[in-house]
Amino acid sequence: MLLKIAWRNVWRNKRRSLITIAAIFIAVLLAIFLRALQLGMYDNMINNVVGSYSGYVQLHSKGYWDDKTIDNAFEVNQSVLADIQNIDGVSTILKRIQAGALSSYNDLSKFVYITGIDPENEEILTDWNKRLIEGRLLKKDSKSIIVAKGVAKYYNLKIGDTLIFIGQGYHGMQAVGAYPLQGVVDMKNPNLNNYSVFMTLPVAQDFVSAENLITNLVIDKEQYFDENKIAQVIKSKINNQSYDIMTWKEMTPELDQLIEADNAGGILIIMILYMIVTFGIFGTVLMMTQERLYEFGVLISIGMRRSKLMITLIYETILLTFTGIMSGVVVSLPIVNYFYYNPLRLFGAASAQMETAGFEPVIPFMNSYDIPLTHSLIILCISLIICVYPILIIYQLQPIKAMKR
Amino acid sequence: MNVIETKNISKLYKQADQDIKALNDVSINFKKGEFTAIVGPSGSGKTTFLNTIGGLDSPSSGKVLIDNNEITKLNSNQLIDFRLRNIGFVFQSYNLIPVLTAKENVEFIMLMQGSSKSIRDKRSVELLKSVGLDDQLNRRPNQLSGGQQQRVAVARALASKPKFVLADEPTANLDSSSTSNLLDIMSRLNKKEKMTFIFSTHDQRVIDRANRIITLEDGKILSDINVK
Ligand SMILES: Nc1ncnc2c1ncn2[C@@H]1O[C@H](COP(=O)(O)OP(=O)(O)OP(=O)(O)O)[C@@H](O)[C@H]1O
Ligand SMILES: [Mg+2]
Repeated sequence: MLLKIAWRNVWRNKRRSLITIAAIFIAVLLAIFLRALQLGMYDNMINNVVGSYSGYVQLHSKGYWDDKTIDNAFEVNQSVLADIQNIDGVSTILKRIQAGALSSYNDLSKFVYITGIDPENEEILTDWNKRLIEGRLLKKDSKSIIVAKGVAKYYNLKIGDTLIFIGQGYHGMQAVGAYPLQGVVDMKNPNLNNYSVFMTLPVAQDFVSAENLITNLVIDKEQYFDENKIAQVIKSKINNQSYDIMTWKEMTPELDQLIEADNAGGILIIMILYMIVTFGIFGTVLMMTQERLYEFGVLISIGMRRSKLMITLIYETILLTFTGIMSGVVVSLPIVNYFYYNPLRLFGAASAQMETAGFEPVIPFMNSYDIPLTHSLIILCISLIICVYPILIIYQLQPIKAMKR
Repeated sequence: MNVIETKNISKLYKQADQDIKALNDVSINFKKGEFTAIVGPSGSGKTTFLNTIGGLDSPSSGKVLIDNNEITKLNSNQLIDFRLRNIGFVFQSYNLIPVLTAKENVEFIMLMQGSSKSIRDKRSVELLKSVGLDDQLNRRPNQLSGGQQQRVAVARALASKPKFVLADEPTANLDSSSTSNLLDIMSRLNKKEKMTFIFSTHDQRVIDRANRIITLEDGKILSDINVK
């Protein structure tokens, strides 16, 4: 009955309630849209760079990150490997060796990074099949190489063409080799696309004369595990004198800063949005309360407990906001889902800007239920806080004063 | 047996220039089944008196006993519950919950008392029939005339089976035919169900229907006459 009364009271002033609901609707829709876009963009950035390539945590020999020469390669100890594998939240461990080299084909040459990978294990981190655009992927015993699409485009390479590499090997050894091309991949990241060449770990180790050595140990985590915690545990378990353990935020601080800065801007916009909505809801609740003081007086006089009257007003406020929230959420779902499956493709200046920052100029929306839930709850909380006003008014209402005209 | 007893109640309003004694040492009793009019000039204390015996206002001094319960001792929440169970109210106007129908308004008070749905249904229809509104059950207050609204208010006041009904100028906003209609209904309920009514009024026609007339002046009882 109280709920029925509340529902009817909401519609007593149809126009005012509709305006309030519309304001909440727009705020919820905008908030969800903005966050789905932003978080989707960050997620995509992190996934392209971190989740599917560099891993959330990496282990290097001390000093490697600042001086990425092959002389900083190290031999990974089987017991260290086992220790790390046993840590909670660690899913896969990948060995890689990376070295810079000059590549050449016909009369063109270009600096590239050669990365030796273990094809079978790499498959666990990334679905390389999705990246392959031409040719075949590396197998365990492949002697050929695959290159990223930027490199292939630079040389205008076809499958079967042979690339020549010249570089510095381990401890001053010469590194020279010629390898046929067996595939081209899209690394979904302009930087990686422009400089990446892949071969199997043994082939790469042989090229730089660094048998059994690696430069990067890539440690991937299970979903939703905190990478900082994993890094912490690894640090406590292994010898810190000879290794550096870095999370993706340390390895690519630009990415982290970029996201943080952009995120702060988004949150500010949403806070302003919420402030406007708060005043909108408050204004309505204020009027809903003030114009009915006489009625409240009558109700308390004939024997309605103040608490029941308060509950009615709380219902009214919540029904009002809930209607707005639900309509916002319901309308946002198909929109967000559409852009999740059909990512927004940027063009013009924005696209160029993203490309130079090293990202694909596409924004797939995040369709996690977290976003609508968070924003619904925030507005619901705001409305609950606003309920304090009618509660206080009813608490101190004197029926005979309220009924005096 | 006395339904209401007041013992030396006074109500003092402290004003900047002078204090106003809205009630001045009033001691009076009401018996079950009385049909009483409180009369007197404007400002004589009628509303203050009804509010005090109805537990809406507390006297500055003195006691109010209802069925031998001293209501002047109850706290605010106890008073609300006491009013719900023992007293029916009819105010001058805007008595009803605007978003509820006539029937729902009558049921509302029984709902707060915790009556079951079947009892509420039966009694609300019965009561609205007794005030001649059985064809207006599902109308909202704004679809009813002022007189009809007051009749719904009387039905609601009776719905809780109170010990008495207080009505402060219930006919002040009504035309003469609605006034006599409402009075007919109240006096019939008074005779048939022995319901005690206490109402204040300025209207001579209403005074004529009462069987007890109490006249107030400056917060004091000027006269207390039993008619018939
Ligand atoms: N809240 C208040 N503050 C100060 N004085 C008040 C207050 N309420 C009532 N009074 C005074 O108390 C006296 C009695 O008022 P009351 O309303 O009981 O009169 P009444 O007989 O009902 O008058 P009316 O016929 O005009 O309704 C009046 O002098 C009034 O001015
Ligand atoms: Mg009065």
